[in-house]
Amino acid sequence: MSVEASPVAIPISADRTRRGSWRLPTVSRSVLLSTLTVAMLLAAWAIVTGVGWANELFLPKPQAVWAALVKTMTKGYQGATLFQHLGASLYRILTAFALACFIGIPLGVLMGVSRNARALLNPLIEFYRPLPPLGLYTLLVMWLGIGESSKLSLLFLAGLPGIVISTIQAVTSVDPVYIRAAQSLGATRRHLLFHVYLPAAGPLILAGMRISLGFTYTVLVAAEIVAASAGIGWMIWDAAKFLLSDVVIMGLIVLGLTGVVLDLMMRGIAKLLMPWART
Amino acid sequence: MMKRLVATLALATLALTATARGEDKPAKVTVGYLNLVNAQLVTKHLGLLAKEMPGVDIKYVKVGGGGDMLRAIAGNDVDFGGLGNPPTAIGATRALPIKGILVINMLDYVESMVVRSDKNITSLKDLKGKTVAAPFGSTTHYLLLQALKDEGVEPASMKIIDLAPSDIAAAWLRGDIDAAWFWEPNLDKAVKNGGKILVTSGDMARRGYPTWDIGVVMNAFAEKYPSYVEKFIKAECEGIDFWLKNPEKTAEIIAEELSLPLADATRMMKGTGMVPCNQQLTEEYLGTSAKKGKFVDTLVATADFLVRQERLPKLLPRAEFEAFIQPAYIEKVIGR
Repeated sequence: MSVEASPVAIPISADRTRRGSWRLPTVSRSVLLSTLTVAMLLAAWAIVTGVGWANELFLPKPQAVWAALVKTMTKGYQGATLFQHLGASLYRILTAFALACFIGIPLGVLMGVSRNARALLNPLIEFYRPLPPLGLYTLLVMWLGIGESSKLSLLFLAGLPGIVISTIQAVTSVDPVYIRAAQSLGATRRHLLFHVYLPAAGPLILAGMRISLGFTYTVLVAAEIVAASAGIGWMIWDAAKFLLSDVVIMGLIVLGLTGVVLDLMMRGIAKLLMPWART
Repeated sequence: MMKRLVATLALATLALTATARGEDKPAKVTVGYLNLVNAQLVTKHLGLLAKEMPGVDIKYVKVGGGGDMLRAIAGNDVDFGGLGNPPTAIGATRALPIKGILVINMLDYVESMVVRSDKNITSLKDLKGKTVAAPFGSTTHYLLLQALKDEGVEPASMKIIDLAPSDIAAAWLRGDIDAAWFWEPNLDKAVKNGGKILVTSGDMARRGYPTWDIGVVMNAFAEKYPSYVEKFIKAECEGIDFWLKNPEKTAEIIAEELSLPLADATRMMKGTGMVPCNQQLTEEYLGTSAKKGKFVDTLVATADFLVRQERLPKLLPRAEFEAFIQPAYIEKVIGR
């Protein structure tokens, strides 16, 4: 592995050190550039609203959004503080996502390892994968009611296909040489699963989990539209009804930042569990 | 050939009259109407608007509730719309570019609070610990909170959830909710499936909290095509007159428009108060341009309530709500 990788790795690192002598280190330069983007966006927002080019009903001033954030954090929005809303949403997302992983990864491994299992389950997965989750939601509400179970199911169903499909792909792309090598050393099926398939497929499965978490996240507002009374998605929806665009934008920013933090956490966990993976 | 000639002539005459007035003709008029039982359905069914506006493409869009209508107005998706008093108070406070021009209907028992008859709910106090639904931001959500406040019942003592009227009906059938305050034609589905009426919007009107729906026009449309605002009002007034004079035929129209049995349509009709256009200019309703009527009081009271509920940032001065109500167009139609 290392013998194969080194000829590729050397020129890149040599290139980097050569240029690195007069430039900022790559990481801090990226941070700087990213900060610049955010700062430009904020400045544009402040200017557009400050000069009065934008109708405040549609695009409130940054100060108004900040005030909405402070007020929601301290006094709350309609009976729950920002952290309670966030807690309700995170509970829904993480529970549904955990369920999707719990069911999706074994299912994907099974379908990846066994050709029969793949043939049996493929029609189901392939059929429901392209269905828009919102189309399913009306049915879910009719079947499961307006409580938490229909919301969790919608989020679960949004997250499941991504994880199943990437797990299948991860497992089928494991180098057969590894498997034969392990088998020739007398590995049982159990050994193969835990010592060959999962470690080798791990990085790809993790990439699938990240995508799946993203999908779960995108249907959050939709899931909280029906009969919720807390949650960031509900807060955005409710505020929109009363044309409180400052609360809407504040909610969207909070959602976006939370999504970034969740993704960073996933990457951190990946590094801890699978130091061999390049994330 | 003959037809074409007539059409060309008609177009030419129209063009002439339009130029004579110095006013353009809109190519298309979009009317957002609420899914309710009122005379707008009659106007729509009889094509009265098309008769008033020949050659104009008229598009009707059904809107579920006040919240959606506000979004449609904010997005400039309609030329004319209808709003209950809470969304109107919200729209006026948030400076949406609209004016109130016509009383669409007064709400009586067409909007009511239905409770499950097997749950022993005889007063609002019995709702403690129960699940209650209402479309947030609508007239009924406003009345629910107002009624709870008057009876000294803490809203936090029950679970109040936000559902669209059609979702309330579905949730009711499943047994997910114990009570709901909403409107026909969906209200009936709850009443027929183990529900009874606890309090109606008419009861609340008699307690001093009237609720109504008002016809609104986008400011830009009204400035560009003032005579078409009058035409709109004229058509709606004809619909209202038809409703008042021909209750049986109206019931048939409602039944057809909403796919309801005739008996249900007849009952729902009686729960809606229609105000003849010449009475709309009295103190009780819009009032006149010189002296605005009680609709302004209702708007101020509603806005004040919403401010205390933290749904609105601040209470505007009364003059802003007076400016929102514009009886000038209907005055012209009636000839005052």
